[in-house]
Amino acid sequence: MTNHWIDLKNSDCILIMGSNAAENHPISFKWVTRAQEKGATLIHVDPRFTRTSAKSDIYAPLRSGSDLAFLGGLINYIITKDLIFKDYVVNYTNASFIVGKDYDFKDGMFSGYDAATRKYDKSKWAFEMDANGAPKRDNTLQDPRCVYQLMKKHYSRYSIKNAVDMTGTPEAKLLQVYDAYAATGKPNKAGTVMYAMGWTQHTVGVQNIRSMSMVQMLLGNMGVAGGGVNALRGESNVQGSTDQALLFHIIPGYLPTPNTGDKELADYLKRITPVSKDPKSLNWKKNQPKYAVSLIKSFYKDAEPAKGFDMLPKLDAGKDYSWLTLFDHMLKGQFKGFFAWGMNPAVSGANSNKTREALTKLDWMVNVNIYDNETGSFWNGPGMNPKKIKTEVFMLPCCVSVEKEGSISNSGRWMQWRYQGPKPLGESRADGEIIYELAMKLRELYKKEGGAFPDPIMGMNWEDMGNGHEFDAHKTAKLINGYYLKDVEEKQPDGSIKVYKKGTQVAAFPALKDDGSTCSGNWIYCGSYVGPDPKDNRAAKRSKDQTPAQANIGLFPNWSWAWPVNRRIIYNRASTDLTGKPYAPEKAILAWDATGKKWDIDVVDGGGAPGAIHPFIMQQHGMAAFYGPGLNDGPFPEYYEPLDCPVSAHPYSKVLHNPTALQFEGEKHSVCDPRYPFVCTTYRVTEHWQTGLQTRWQAWLLEAEPQMFCEMSEELAALRGIKNGEKVWLENQRGKLWAVAIVTKRFKPFVVQGQVIHEVGIPWHFGWRFPKDGGDAANLLSPSVGDPNTGIPETKAFMVNVRKA
Amino acid sequence: MTLSRRGFLKLSAAATLSTAFSGIGFAMKPATVDRITMLKPEWSKQTTTVCCYCAVGCGLIVNTALAGTQRAINIEGDPDHPINEGALCAKGASIYQLAEGNPGQPNPRLTKVMYRKPYGTKWEAKSWDWALERIAKNIKRDRDASFATKNAKGQTVNRCEGLASVGSAAMDNEECWAYQAFLRSLGLTYIEHQARI
Amino acid sequence: MSGKSFLVDLTKCTACRGCQIACKQWKKLPGEKTKNTGTHQNPPDFSYNTLRVVRFSEKEIDGQMQWFFTPDQCRHCLEAPCKTATNDPEAILIDEQTGAVVYTAKTAKEDFETVRGICPYDVPRMDKKTKLISKCDMCNDRVKAGKRPACVTSCPTGTMNFGDRDDMLKLAEKRLAEAKKKHPKAQLIDAESVRVIFLTANEPNLYSKTMMADASTSAPGQRLLNRQEFLAGITTPLKNILG
Repeated sequence: MTNHWIDLKNSDCILIMGSNAAENHPISFKWVTRAQEKGATLIHVDPRFTRTSAKSDIYAPLRSGSDLAFLGGLINYIITKDLIFKDYVVNYTNASFIVGKDYDFKDGMFSGYDAATRKYDKSKWAFEMDANGAPKRDNTLQDPRCVYQLMKKHYSRYSIKNAVDMTGTPEAKLLQVYDAYAATGKPNKAGTVMYAMGWTQHTVGVQNIRSMSMVQMLLGNMGVAGGGVNALRGESNVQGSTDQALLFHIIPGYLPTPNTGDKELADYLKRITPVSKDPKSLNWKKNQPKYAVSLIKSFYKDAEPAKGFDMLPKLDAGKDYSWLTLFDHMLKGQFKGFFAWGMNPAVSGANSNKTREALTKLDWMVNVNIYDNETGSFWNGPGMNPKKIKTEVFMLPCCVSVEKEGSISNSGRWMQWRYQGPKPLGESRADGEIIYELAMKLRELYKKEGGAFPDPIMGMNWEDMGNGHEFDAHKTAKLINGYYLKDVEEKQPDGSIKVYKKGTQVAAFPALKDDGSTCSGNWIYCGSYVGPDPKDNRAAKRSKDQTPAQANIGLFPNWSWAWPVNRRIIYNRASTDLTGKPYAPEKAILAWDATGKKWDIDVVDGGGAPGAIHPFIMQQHGMAAFYGPGLNDGPFPEYYEPLDCPVSAHPYSKVLHNPTALQFEGEKHSVCDPRYPFVCTTYRVTEHWQTGLQTRWQAWLLEAEPQMFCEMSEELAALRGIKNGEKVWLENQRGKLWAVAIVTKRFKPFVVQGQVIHEVGIPWHFGWRFPKDGGDAANLLSPSVGDPNTGIPETKAFMVNVRKA
Repeated sequence: MTLSRRGFLKLSAAATLSTAFSGIGFAMKPATVDRITMLKPEWSKQTTTVCCYCAVGCGLIVNTALAGTQRAINIEGDPDHPINEGALCAKGASIYQLAEGNPGQPNPRLTKVMYRKPYGTKWEAKSWDWALERIAKNIKRDRDASFATKNAKGQTVNRCEGLASVGSAAMDNEECWAYQAFLRSLGLTYIEHQARI
Repeated sequence: MSGKSFLVDLTKCTACRGCQIACKQWKKLPGEKTKNTGTHQNPPDFSYNTLRVVRFSEKEIDGQMQWFFTPDQCRHCLEAPCKTATNDPEAILIDEQTGAVVYTAKTAKEDFETVRGICPYDVPRMDKKTKLISKCDMCNDRVKAGKRPACVTSCPTGTMNFGDRDDMLKLAEKRLAEAKKKHPKAQLIDAESVRVIFLTANEPNLYSKTMMADASTSAPGQRLLNRQEFLAGITTPLKNILG
């Protein structure tokens, strides 16, 4: 989230699309309801009428997988009706930038495509630079090669008729949504979006979100109270686990993972140092070398940074190692050993049959979990013969959250500390304990026996994560924050010199160094644990002190701590004009104090006087990006159908599918395949969580949602002779699954290009292990194809057949 | 207080009926210490936590018995927390059950290390020491066998691609950090988790 | 003493079922074995171990889909009919301070069908083994300790409200006026006769059969007394307040 949960109350129009917030983030509705009480319009766009729709002022149905047609139409609507917030667009976005001559778009493809590699040459999409090396601009937005004009041309194809034709949304509803949302383009109005997996789990996932970001920029809704682009994250610490980089492509703090192109540290540091020649662009990422070196020193504090860098594993430049690829390689026998730590991939991974078969190719697997589950017990699952499966399995019991101490980061980037209540049950242990002890055992083995490149194992900084035997969450939190490794002299604003002694916690990331004198396990968390005592742990703060201006917008700066630097709304500079005057004074999040020469209310992005710097400081040129030349599938979001889809042609393009989508050889997809005529989508219910691994074992939750179900329209039920409550089979070329039919008026057939298209929906919380009559995983049916930027699988839209069991 | 501390932990459904009137000295004599008394500091420790499900980050209060089972006795929303102000959804309201199981029934949580040997047909309970030592040996054997200092092009890679990991957004920040440090010290490149799916 | 009351503002309920489970958590009531029968309403109804249940009702009105949610519970009638159906005066008690209608262990000796049959909202349920009868007790223990009932504490949206009856009646009026702007047919249900006052966005029968005390819902012979008759006699001056 660019904003935070309480801030939803400041909105004038809340669009819930690609999520079902009332059911999956129920407490968000405390703040959504507050906004509605003050007159905000609530809109829900979703294939199915849900508990969220029930509370909405406008509900618009849309066929799964057609979101970009809907949002592209909204962009076109705003531009053609000239409903944009012009000052914002000119001053704070790259709308005025001139795009280079090599950029082109024709028949659904951008310039630079190589059919052999299925990749674009992104150098074709570069901006034109002036003599100083800064992007050329036309602030009148009239130059035909400026981003605004190219965008206008691109989305002119996204007419109302085309949007209605592809989405199946009735025209009147579509226009009602467009009108209500576009009304937030007024300077003192704010619109916000609440999205989740309904947008990400597509082969155009990133572009779905980019297209909404563009809407927000056109309307001046980024960086303001009640605005922003808000991802409703689905796990209590999926924000934190991403920040800490449990992903192949990043290391902590969103630094790129070193690859084979980086021969040594200097090459890597150069690669991660963007340059901007615009004096008003703060270009914050130019500081990344300080964060990278401090990170390396947090891993290997006794090694020179260059040696520490050498010890980090390197990716092959350009190669994908993401989830679907990982399981594809597992199936091919690449891995001997595998950790499924606090995860249940046998249910959560797309194309479950493929995932489950891949697990049989392992020599051994470590599965750490609270309950027995479909992954740990995969060898005992449907269709498996244990006597033929070699995989050695260790199922390690971890304790639950209330039995340990540590911090988690919510969607609003609040780092919140949790304390231990009861001790771990039975022989269960905290994950940190298990990791630490395993690392100690391994280090003993390498010490005793030697082995391949033992340096990173022997040199890893375990002393700062525990006492040599036991894990210590406080010590680790202090390491993540970072401390001085040498005495360091710092010049103060008044010219005096202050010495920071070796061992002192670093106060905030501007103090981090690239010379090895500081360490920080994650620069964005620098400032979270600023002294030696638990009282210096800002994640544990529980004060509701706030100024009246903070109270006005629901800002609690003294409750927990938010990254970065306790900023609660990011890009907040864009909430004021170039003189520092808030666009919406009645809900100001920043106010320039001209006498004191400082900003009040929230922590300002970047600092300096009003107008001194561009507001989007994490962007190379300081501007929000309508045109994004860094993505793999094009600088403008373009609508493509899911790889499994019910239509054979695209009304305004010759290309049906995303040409760069992540795909695997030999896997078939259904396009207008009469055997699998229905669109199927997957979703969650309030009463279960993720694969259901935790919630299915809880009687209070299981009694509320006891079995796999399939929601369908009365029309589809009549077509297939299915009655409410009867068992049905869903099937496609990947798998087969039973469910209890819920025949409901809440699902309606869609009219798409004049054809009636039926859609069904299934929750993904069930698995064969427990309860015995609960059903199995929705992912048995979902395809292993993914977004070309993230690799996130397309589990929200695929094709199935449904019949009576 | 005339009851044993152990006594109050054995709450029964019948107590539901009686405790509603405790404190006003009416007809029903509670057979056990009532739930309200159990929340007092002489009976239980109070700690704050944050919900383990979605990422709204709702605050909760956990009461843990000081004696007897020393287990959680009540978990409910924290009214002081600015995001949820005491409110909880179905899942948040059931965190007590995640820790303690369904009242009156055995707790289904894993409480021992379980092991399935190659081609085995059942689980066997094992000790932590045995399991961690064996896992460490497996890691070392397969890491050493698959570790590459250079790739096919002769570029330095210092990595181990014979092992892979997924997990976990269910861990605390500090645990996540320690885990990625562990994996990266082994040389893993196949590191993924929930955020990708 | 006017005691306590709830205002349940159904215009704000999202059926998150936090209250359904918060109730079980506080009282440590076990979960039950259920099946999906083609609806999300589960457990399907009240039981000895399910003292509150969220009811789901789908209706299409003038081509617009609507989904009505009712977090249902005992209404704590001002003059509880169920108490009149018992023999032992200690089987069902009325708390003088709060007005909570509380069932005690002595309900085991009462005739369950009589107690259930007389309830205008069909709330009481019996444990087959022990013959104890149970229902919501207003979390009387929490209320006396200065806490809100578990269901009210857990409610995110402001659907569940609890407090002194006079305050709740004032809140009911205020919320009704607000609700009418969006929902012209909004109304308060049996406000004069119960301590759990529902504010519906539309006709009460769209929510559930037992939303409102109504003679028509009790088949002849099944109920010992007409529900309406019980409530008719206890109308208080509150009617004036509510206009």
